[in-house]
Amino acid sequence: MSPQDRREFLVSTAGGLAACALTPSLAFARPAIRAGAPVQVAVIGAGRQGRAILGELATIPECAVAAVCDSDDSRLQAALRRAQGVRGFASHAELLDKAPEVEALVIATPTHLHTKIALAAIAAGKHVFVETPLAHTLEDLSALSEAARRSTKTVAAGFQGRANPVYSLARSFFKAGALRELASLRAQNNRKTSWRTPGSTPERDRELNWHLDPAHSLGLIGEMGAHQFDVYSWFLARQPVAARARGELRLHKDGREIPDTVACELVYDDGLVLDWSCTLANSYEGRFELFNGAMAAIKLAWTHGWMFKEADAPTAGWEVYANRQQFHNDSGITLIADATKLAAQGKLQEGVGLPYTSLYYSLADFVKCVAEKAAPACSISEAARTTAVAIKAHEALRTRSEVAIDPKLLEAL
Amino acid sequence: MLERLATLAMGARFELVLEGRDRIHARAAGEAALEEIERCDARWSLFRTDSLIARVNREAVQRDVPLDADTFELLAACEELRALTDGAFDVAVGQRMAALGFRGAADGASNDGGAFELDGARRTLRFTRAGTQLDLGAIAKGEALDRAAGVLRECGVERALLHGGTSSVLALGAPPQSTGWRVELAGFEPARDVLLCERALSVSAPRGRVAQHNGASIGHILDPRTGEPLPLDVRVAALAANGREAEAWSTAAAVLCARGLDPRACAPAGIELFTAAATQASHAVHAHSPAPSLR
Repeated sequence: MSPQDRREFLVSTAGGLAACALTPSLAFARPAIRAGAPVQVAVIGAGRQGRAILGELATIPECAVAAVCDSDDSRLQAALRRAQGVRGFASHAELLDKAPEVEALVIATPTHLHTKIALAAIAAGKHVFVETPLAHTLEDLSALSEAARRSTKTVAAGFQGRANPVYSLARSFFKAGALRELASLRAQNNRKTSWRTPGSTPERDRELNWHLDPAHSLGLIGEMGAHQFDVYSWFLARQPVAARARGELRLHKDGREIPDTVACELVYDDGLVLDWSCTLANSYEGRFELFNGAMAAIKLAWTHGWMFKEADAPTAGWEVYANRQQFHNDSGITLIADATKLAAQGKLQEGVGLPYTSLYYSLADFVKCVAEKAAPACSISEAARTTAVAIKAHEALRTRSEVAIDPKLLEAL
Repeated sequence: MLERLATLAMGARFELVLEGRDRIHARAAGEAALEEIERCDARWSLFRTDSLIARVNREAVQRDVPLDADTFELLAACEELRALTDGAFDVAVGQRMAALGFRGAADGASNDGGAFELDGARRTLRFTRAGTQLDLGAIAKGEALDRAAGVLRECGVERALLHGGTSSVLALGAPPQSTGWRVELAGFEPARDVLLCERALSVSAPRGRVAQHNGASIGHILDPRTGEPLPLDVRVAALAANGREAEAWSTAAAVLCARGLDPRACAPAGIELFTAAATQASHAVHAHSPAPSLR
């Protein structure tokens, strides 16, 4: 195939894929889940993420929240007030023992507690959804991966990018070669927050702020970066081979040891580098993932995605009616499912932005997989590999040295 | 020392000042309160496509849409308020708001109630007629303030002042050596200060946000029954035990005033209303800040 033929092939493939992705109606709609008795779900952990999960599960008709568990009674009672008619438990062991009607568990506890609870739930024959990062040690990851492999139930992980339709659409362009040769990767997660959870007493403060405790926490790299690292793992279908990182306390000098501003480089075997940064001191541009290729760049920002084409990139027919957004000197094509149909109806603008939250898609995918015995959007082994990369990157930050990431280590997960 | 924090939600700036156990605790408590406001935004804002209420507006004409307990309870309260105010308060005005050039993108006319049904047993909502769109803009900010204040109380915070877009204000306790937080009600003749302590205050003034429609300036508050915007010079403040009631009653009272009725006749005990038709002079001074200003 000549370069010219190849280019035309890629253009038509990218355009064709776009058309395929855009033509079916409701491409961004909620997943269609087989009708049947609602899946009985329990949520373990009623903190910030647990409450968000409870809210989303309440709006998924194919599941019913049967139980909530939290070791902190005030949190548990608050969750029970919100969920209504739901049984409450102080420990996951008690829940597994006394709530046989529960079919599936969503684990949203502090990261270092995931593995113990997930192993118990898998051993009890439950379907399990584990929030991410999966664990804070390689040993825990290995145990969790092994248990998930042996389980005959659905065991899923909560890296939400994989269930996000905007990301799926972007990935179809990426896989079709719309970017051509990759030059660089860049991601950030900026927000202005102390990242502290207030407790009623100083002792309770310490318990709640486990993510500021170096003994338990992977810091910003693990708790925030891992979610973005997984987007690249999914798109590239490979993992980095080395990590470098540096971090500082720039704003929240309140006695914490975990840096509030971090920069990390993940290096791939062909020299490609992902530059990731995160600060808790400034929120400008928030969170995004960027892929820079020779013919286009793709920028993803959770609920929205854009493609920025180079001037010399071939133009596909559908671009004539594409929705565009201006970013200073650059014009981005908004990634919209159903674009062809919406444009024909003069409603293209209505397709901009996700109609459901990213968390909703992730949980709905889990419920669908439980109901239909299907493979989840994010498997434990895939999530374990990404989490292992985050653990290694955190090690690079702690040791202030480049850390190699052994491919064999990742393959074993 | 008072800590000050802010976030953007529901198309408005929410701000709070509070006193905590120490500065670190105060900041963390304030951030938790702001997160609660952002959770309300995620469910009830029409300024984002993935909110629950946007989902309801897209799908409730075709199917029963499941709601979380908070949203169901809020919408049930909205229906009670609609009945109590003879339709002066009604959240099923989204289609008309959009037609007048405010939020959303739908056509619509007036609303005589009964546009949606709530199923308490299944905790679902369904529209009873095509074209219905909900808009919680007349209650959600107040509700968010109540929930944020609840978070602050759980964190042990006893003194705080919170506002949403400066039109709804809620006071937790009082500043040191004071019996309340002093809030100036702008645009009322005579000028009025309110000392707030464990209460909420909300102001409704059509001039607060204006759009152009058929060549004329119209305000963002309409009579749900007729679908017509209120006269621009109506201005009402409501004092209540919580933000939800204060915001909803200030809107309802503004509509009732525009109908030529006395809103005090249907307001329950505990709701205190100040009504005013602002003067030209006050318009000149306060055209861009009809809401209470904080001092």
